[in-house]
Amino acid sequence: MAIFGLWVINKAGGLVYQRNFADGLALLTSNEYLVLAGTLHGIHAITSRLSPMGSSSGVQVIEGESFKINIFLTVTGTKFVLLTSLSDTTAEVVLQRVYDIYADAVMKNPFHTPEMPIRSEGFDTRIGTLIGTGQT
Amino acid sequence: MTIHSLYIYDRHCTCIYYQDWHRTKPVSPVPATTIDGNASPSAFSSPRNTLSSTTGIVVAMNEGTIKLPASPQPQTTISSTGLPFDEEAKLVYGVVISLRNMIKKLSGRNEQFVNYRTSAYKLHLFETISGYKFVMLSDPKTDSLRFVLRQVYIGPFLEYVVRNPLVKMDSRERGVDNEYFRASVDRLVRGLSVFS
Repeated sequence: MAIFGLWVINKAGGLVYQRNFADGLALLTSNEYLVLAGTLHGIHAITSRLSPMGSSSGVQVIEGESFKINIFLTVTGTKFVLLTSLSDTTAEVVLQRVYDIYADAVMKNPFHTPEMPIRSEGFDTRIGTLIGTGQT
Repeated sequence: MTIHSLYIYDRHCTCIYYQDWHRTKPVSPVPATTIDGNASPSAFSSPRNTLSSTTGIVVAMNEGTIKLPASPQPQTTISSTGLPFDEEAKLVYGVVISLRNMIKKLSGRNEQFVNYRTSAYKLHLFETISGYKFVMLSDPKTDSLRFVLRQVYIGPFLEYVVRNPLVKMDSRERGVDNEYFRASVDRLVRGLSVFS
């Protein structure tokens, strides 16, 4: 079980936080991460419209052959994305905890501009203690 | 646990086959267009309902699931039940391709996109080396259905489409639908333990 990375995407589809943990996935440039986050934002909107069975949420889990992308959408439209190994079962709990930390360390910070990149040492430290190196 | 629908795309990004089973939100037929010459109501009198897209591909679907409009509707009307079929097929294809590229980029290897899940459904992808994409929508709780899509490929698809001299494989005008293929896919899917 491993956590490879964490992204925070604002309600407009911009990547406001990105951090890598365990090795295993390709290391991309920050521009590439921005593009992927934007794509994911679009896909999320489309997937909720493709439902064959009435209304649906957007995509929640995307699986590849060796990793999966867990997406947690808050009521305010911010998306928390966690890249984990396929066997990982803790993603939902971790994302919920990340949301708690985000609320405490980012939203309550008077120096933070909403929808802008997160540059907060407190947030970094607390995410670091929650996820560590990403290996369990 | 159930299976909703199956889409097959060729390497030209066109949907060449569609079939659905349990679906509470039926696809709406594409409003008649002039491009493919199917605008006249008499073109729909075949025993099987035909969905045509604006790109000119004719895709048949199983009987009795939709009632096509008797008279051509203007292109802009979209029924409240959902998107017109060709719009939906294009969205499915777009999502699948974007996710496939995203997974490849993130993994840094040639890793395949396998499936994704929302609260209401799960989408599975199987891609052949020749570029055919088999996409299946199922209940969100089902396990990976990749093996089923592979079975559709190595069974019915090879037998009744690839080895069928009457099917034009790279035709950009008609899908690959034929009775044997449809019946065979139907039997295969209905025989699955996840189908109920």
